Parts: sequence; C-alpha cells; structure tokens
Amino acid sequence: MFENALQVASLVLQDASGPAITSTGMAALAVGLAGLGAGYAERGIGSAAVGAVAEDDDLFVQALILTVLPETILIFALVAMILA
Amino acid sequence: MSATGSSNPEYVNARVSARRATLFDEEDYRKLLRMSPDEISRYMEESTYQGPINRLGSRFSGVDLIEYALNAGLAETFDELLAWANGRLYEQVARYLRKFDAWNVKTAVRGVYAGTDPEAVEDDLIRAGEFDDALLDQLVEAESVDAIVDLLDGTIFGDPLAAAAEEYDESGMLVPLENAIDRAYYENLFEGVTSASGAGPESAYAEYLQAEIDFRNVRNALRLARSGAEVDPAEYFIEGGTLFTPEELSTLSRNRDQLVEHIRESRYGDELAGALDEMAEADSLIGFEHAIDAALVEHARNAGHAHPMSVCPVIAFVLAKEREVDNIRAIARGTQAGLDPEEIRAELVVE
Repeated sequence: MFENALQVASLVLQDASGPAITSTGMAALAVGLAGLGAGYAERGIGSAAVGAVAEDDDLFVQALILTVLPETILIFALVAMILA
Repeated sequence: MSATGSSNPEYVNARVSARRATLFDEEDYRKLLRMSPDEISRYMEESTYQGPINRLGSRFSGVDLIEYALNAGLAETFDELLAWANGRLYEQVARYLRKFDAWNVKTAVRGVYAGTDPEAVEDDLIRAGEFDDALLDQLVEAESVDAIVDLLDGTIFGDPLAAAAEEYDESGMLVPLENAIDRAYYENLFEGVTSASGAGPESAYAEYLQAEIDFRNVRNALRLARSGAEVDPAEYFIEGGTLFTPEELSTLSRNRDQLVEHIRESRYGDELAGALDEMAEADSLIGFEHAIDAALVEHARNAGHAHPMSVCPVIAFVLAKEREVDNIRAIARGTQAGLDPEEIRAELVVE
C-alpha cells in the first residue's frame, strides 16, 4: 500500500481540475473569520457598554454605536465576497 | 457575583469609572466646609448617599446621621462591586475587601479591650467584608478576646489571632493582636496575586500592594517611635514590602532623620518628596500620614490607567471611596466641633 502511495498521490493531483479551495470558498472563509473577529471585539465593548448604560441611561446611543463599530470589518469581508 | 466563570473587567471597570466620576471633588468639599451638619446630610441626600440617608433619616439626625449613612453607603458600594465582578476579578476584589473584615475584627477587639458596650462597637462596624451579619453580631457580643478568637476559628484570622492572644494575655497590650490581624490580611492578599515580576497587570497590582504594605510599615514605625513605647517595630513588621527589612526598620525608627532619608532614596522618593519636606519642617505626623494616603490613591490610579483591564481600577476606586468617606466625616465632625474651615481643609485628603 505504501509503495503505491506516491503514484496514488500524483494521480490524485493530476485528477484535480483546480486549486483545493476556490476563490469563492476563500471569500466565504474571509466572511466567517471576520464575523468571528467582530464577535470577539463586541464581547468586550458590549459588556463595557452595558456597564456604562447601567450607570447612566443617556449613554445608550453612544454605547450602541460603539458596540456595533467592529461590524465594519464585516462590510470589508462582504466586499471581498462580491469581488471574488 | 461568584468566583466561577470568566473574569469581566470590561463591565466592572465601566461601572467603576462612572462611579468614580460621581465621587465628591474639591468643589463639593469646599461647599461642604461652609455647611452645618444638617445641611451636609441634606447635600448628601442629593448624591450617591441618597438611599442610606433616606433610610436612616427618621432614626438619626445631625452628625450621627452622616456617620451612619457614610458607613452604610460604603458597605453598599462595596457589596455592589462584588455583585458585578465574576471569576478571577471577583476573587481579587473579595480578597482586597477583606480589609473591612480586618477592620471589624479590630473594632471588636478594641471594644473588648476598652470595655465599650456592644451597641457602640456595632456602630463602628463596616459591613462590607466577607463575614456575614450573624458572625459580626456574635463578634460584637463577645465578652473577651478569647471568645473572639474562638468565633474566628476557621477564618483566615483564626490561627494568627490565637497565637497573638497568648502574647496579649502576657503583655496586656493590643498591638500584637492588631498586627496579627494586619499580617493575616496581607498574607491572604498576596496569595491572590500570581506573579510579582515582569510588567503585566498582575505585577502592577503586586507593586501597588507592596506600596501599601511599605507605607503601613512606615506609619507603624513612625507612630511607635513617636509614642516612645519600648516596642521593637521589627516584631510587628508586615512581610511583603520592598522598602525595609525588619532589621532596617527597627534601627531606622529610632532615628527619624535617617528614616526620612531612607524613604527619600527609595522608589517612593518622588511621590513623597513634598510630604517629607513638610514633615521635616512642621514636625507633624498627621500631615505626613495624609500625604501617604494621597500618594497611595495616586499610585493606585496610575496603575489603573496603565492597566485598565485588570483589578487596578477597582482598587483605585475602593481607595478613593474610602478617602471620600473619611473626608466627609472629618468635615462633619470638624464643623460640629466648631473648627475653622481652613483647619478642617488641612485634614482632608484630596487628590
């Protein structure tokens, strides 16, 4: 089995008609990772924002804006998705 | 909330910074200095002390009302801190707030020593630490030091106090007991800090704790030296600081000029330079102790600015809140005693 491994591998490689991941797949990955990153950033900002709003209701709008700011990274990811 | 789960410094520090902003400032103190005790309580009603003042307003009046409301407000604020915090942050804050357990135990011991009646002792308790109300009530009712030691068996103060109680029985002096309490508290505090080296938030916190211990040692040494008691300060040295070794402390406390020189050359030299000059001139310990307090608040605040995601901002707030309570109390008591506003002003610790 092992003796044949090389031949099998070269066969498989020849068989593949393109790259392992297509550009659409890569773009999808980019959106997913960007979403993950934005979520992590919002975790910290969100809990700080809730703390601030709990102390002072007037801060609600500012807190909301600051909390969703990391979402902008997703817009770039979507642009990448469209271009891909 | 609890010691489980993950630490949530973002949330706690956002709330703490909002609270910090509501603390009384220079301007407020200036107004308070011109008020009578009743006006002060009225002023407090419009601040964060609204709850306690309203609750206690029907039972007390004048300076008593202020005093009780301050203690109640302090306890309330610190209970809230514990309610907000989670995980490791909770643990560190809780360890720090055991300061009030230490204070309560000391108050109970002093009450027994002076034969004060339980009610008066109870008034001085600050119900902010980890001991529950039942235990505190028992402490207040305790009739001897041994009874207090028995009650505290199993807490962090149990064993050290038991050892110190023997010494107390021999010498009849309170100092061993109080120092045993302080030591137990600080030892416990350092167990909550993992690394004291490097430049991370943990080491900033450790550095702050070292400063607190150093300043306490300085204060104890100066007081002992001044009272002229035949006690070796080294016996009551609190471990963990960086400024002195026990031997250094006992030689330095006999000679104040050398002590001042030693502090001036240490890493606290810059922070305390003004205070040291003043002490050398005015020969006043009170001024120096206020300067130490102010330097400590400053130190904690700097650590909090440098490491906003650590326990440091919370500790800075705790300190600032304590100072606020001390200040208002000083103003109320001072005004009642008919002191000149300028004299009271000198007693305040304002950043």
